[in-house]
Amino acid sequence: MASDHAVSSDPKRRHRHEGPQKHIVAFVLSLALTIIAFAAVAAGEINMTFTYIILVAMALLQVFVQLAFWMHLKDRGHLFATMGIVFGIIVVFTMVIMALYWVWW
Amino acid sequence: MSAHDHHLDGHLPHEPEKATLEGRNKILGFWLFLGAETVLFGTLFAAFIALRHQTLDGPTADHLFELPMVFAATMILLVSSLASVFAVQALHQHKVKPMIVWLIVTILLGLGFLGLEIYEFNTYVSEGHKFRTSAFSSSFYTLVGFHGAHVAFGVLWIGLLIAQIFKKGLTVVTAPKIYVSAIYWHFIDVVWVFIFTVVYLMGKVG
Repeated sequence: MASDHAVSSDPKRRHRHEGPQKHIVAFVLSLALTIIAFAAVAAGEINMTFTYIILVAMALLQVFVQLAFWMHLKDRGHLFATMGIVFGIIVVFTMVIMALYWVWW
Repeated sequence: MSAHDHHLDGHLPHEPEKATLEGRNKILGFWLFLGAETVLFGTLFAAFIALRHQTLDGPTADHLFELPMVFAATMILLVSSLASVFAVQALHQHKVKPMIVWLIVTILLGLGFLGLEIYEFNTYVSEGHKFRTSAFSSSFYTLVGFHGAHVAFGVLWIGLLIAQIFKKGLTVVTAPKIYVSAIYWHFIDVVWVFIFTVVYLMGKVG
């Protein structure tokens, strides 16, 4: 966090405005991942386990794209923010696995 | 340096939401809050996944869900997420008017999503899928309704922020609020990605 402040108070280094391109790329990627997921289900006929794998993979990819680009997690000075959300994700996976274990075995 | 120095000389720093320590702390604090929100939604997901086949005498997921409607809702939310990213870009370029326009677009799409969800729930209830019908229906309405409540709160929040921008202008104090509300809005969209995957699409698969 401290290094971030030093950079933003230096007027010379930080005057490059990012364009909309990479956000449009993220949008198109999200759109494609969504359509693949819906198409996999709408097509039917595909093996159920395989469909599940496609769905989970598409969702995880899309979440990664959105966290990195739209929520700026890949930007500088987001280490602690990333730790916060990753901690939440770890707890969530523990809970979901626990619930599945409880119900299925 | 107090937060107001930047404002009074009429010039905003490049990324006004990160110009003050207060702003940066707000963003970090918000991410920690989102970590907690993730846990909260995660428990609801865990409950739903555990109970989704317990339909008792009520309708099943496959019988209820209509993919075109879910796809429409997904598109609305995805586009609204793009609109809020454009609002943040306008914020970085200190263009207040485009920023407000994109925030209004975000809100309108959010309202459209809510309208669709109300219509959807109404249809389900008329098909006998009420909150107390089965463990499936209870966990469904809790999870999806909770997400809908987050959308409603986001609409209200961003609406109030727009009013504040009109009153106080874009400053190093108001900029972090806009930025954080955009992060919140993306988070809602991220949760929806899991909802359409786990609840709707997997419900259709079986």
